[in-house]
Amino acid sequence: MKKKKMLLSQKTMDLDMVRKVEQLSGTSVRRCFQCGKCSAGCPMATFMDHPPNRIVRLLQLGQWQRILAGRSIWYCVSCETCSTRCPNQVHLASIMDALRKLSWDQDGPSKESYVQLANRLFLENIRTYGRQYEMRLAAVFNVKSGQFLKDMLLGPKLLSKGKLKVFHQKNKNMAEVEKIFSRIEEMRRKGEAL
Amino acid sequence: MTALSYSYYPGCSLHASASEYDLSTREVFASLGIGLEEIPDWICCGATPAHNVDELLSLSLSAKNLELAEQVPGDMAVACASCFSRLKFAQHILSENETKRKLVEKAIDAPVHLERRVKHLLEILVRDYGLEQLATAVKKPLSDLKIACYYGCLLTRPTDVPNLDCTEAPTIMEQVMEAVGAQTVAWTHRLECCGANFTLSRPPVVQQLSNAVLESAKIAGADCIVVACPLCHGNLDIRQKEIEGVYETSYGLPIFYLTQLVGLALGVPQERLGLDALIVSPQKLLRDKKIN
Repeated sequence: MKKKKMLLSQKTMDLDMVRKVEQLSGTSVRRCFQCGKCSAGCPMATFMDHPPNRIVRLLQLGQWQRILAGRSIWYCVSCETCSTRCPNQVHLASIMDALRKLSWDQDGPSKESYVQLANRLFLENIRTYGRQYEMRLAAVFNVKSGQFLKDMLLGPKLLSKGKLKVFHQKNKNMAEVEKIFSRIEEMRRKGEAL
Repeated sequence: MTALSYSYYPGCSLHASASEYDLSTREVFASLGIGLEEIPDWICCGATPAHNVDELLSLSLSAKNLELAEQVPGDMAVACASCFSRLKFAQHILSENETKRKLVEKAIDAPVHLERRVKHLLEILVRDYGLEQLATAVKKPLSDLKIACYYGCLLTRPTDVPNLDCTEAPTIMEQVMEAVGAQTVAWTHRLECCGANFTLSRPPVVQQLSNAVLESAKIAGADCIVVACPLCHGNLDIRQKEIEGVYETSYGLPIFYLTQLVGLALGVPQERLGLDALIVSPQKLLRDKKIN
């Protein structure tokens, strides 16, 4: 997909989806003139198949599928350097959020499933406990990703320093937290949410 | 001057892996006579995972926290750089974008509260309490200590939102450290990313980015690094030993939370600042520099 020759025509350019990205991110991809400053400052650019400036170029050309087929969006660390330095106020960090949301909603296969798994567990913890339960987050991540020994040596040390709390108290307002999650799901089902 | 008082949003890390940040924040505020009352039943701000994949959820969680903050008077005091960024982002987006505001109001089933000022601890120390007053409260100046002030990402970036300080050349952390008598070093990586929440999903990325930060601080001649973010702290402190292993080097740089160093200068005994919770022990450094 990502290496396939790019033929541009009305048929191959999906600009509706790009408009959705612009709406979600509150920023315009058309402002970009490809100076490359975002990629120059990006700490993760070397890990990406499409560097940040090319992401915007691909969006300008309606090629969002190429981006979602690659791994760049899951290697963005949300450091906000690109948005800060853009001379044309293209908020690329927000565009990355919007692209991840599109990919997340499609729930398609992702090469970067570890990041998706970490995000999913993180959000599940909020829904169950109201606050982050770091010990559970790390333990369940290791089990579900099959990396049972990952950071094993850190565990005992963190426990002895009081940095891992084994027991976690749920918030008293859990019913309200659950309602926020279920209302958003409801709004999604009805197509009311962005 | 009327006594300063804040509604406190510690954030999840400060109740677990960064409990020493919470402890030292409370000690510093008590020692300076600044009121700090925790918001009852605050919830997780959603941090990076929420805004990464679901902006509506991220905004709703912050809006709920702003609503919960109504229970306690005073500006909101936030210690964690990520919580600070999320709350400020939510206020910014919800005040500018009516569509999103309406969706969030529906999700939390309440009007959003945008009036409350959200402040990072650094802002409170520098702009509300004041550096001169802070300097006069110092009992044990950290005179010989050379500190690398590490901002990381979210304290200052992007341009329009947190508005804490200049995005490319901030000085607010240096100002606080110099007010308590320390020396600060000029170094290259104070605004670079440490790898943040990839610590869970991709430790090798964190090792690479954090190694560059540690190396730069060492080259600049710093004795230690000071941070204002639990995730930066975790990556630089907890992972330091493994980074030294991977890159076959030795840093031995203690990583302090800013409130721990301010606390030491204010004469708070070190056992009340949670220094024993640091993985890279600062004891030798503090002895050498005759601090505490």
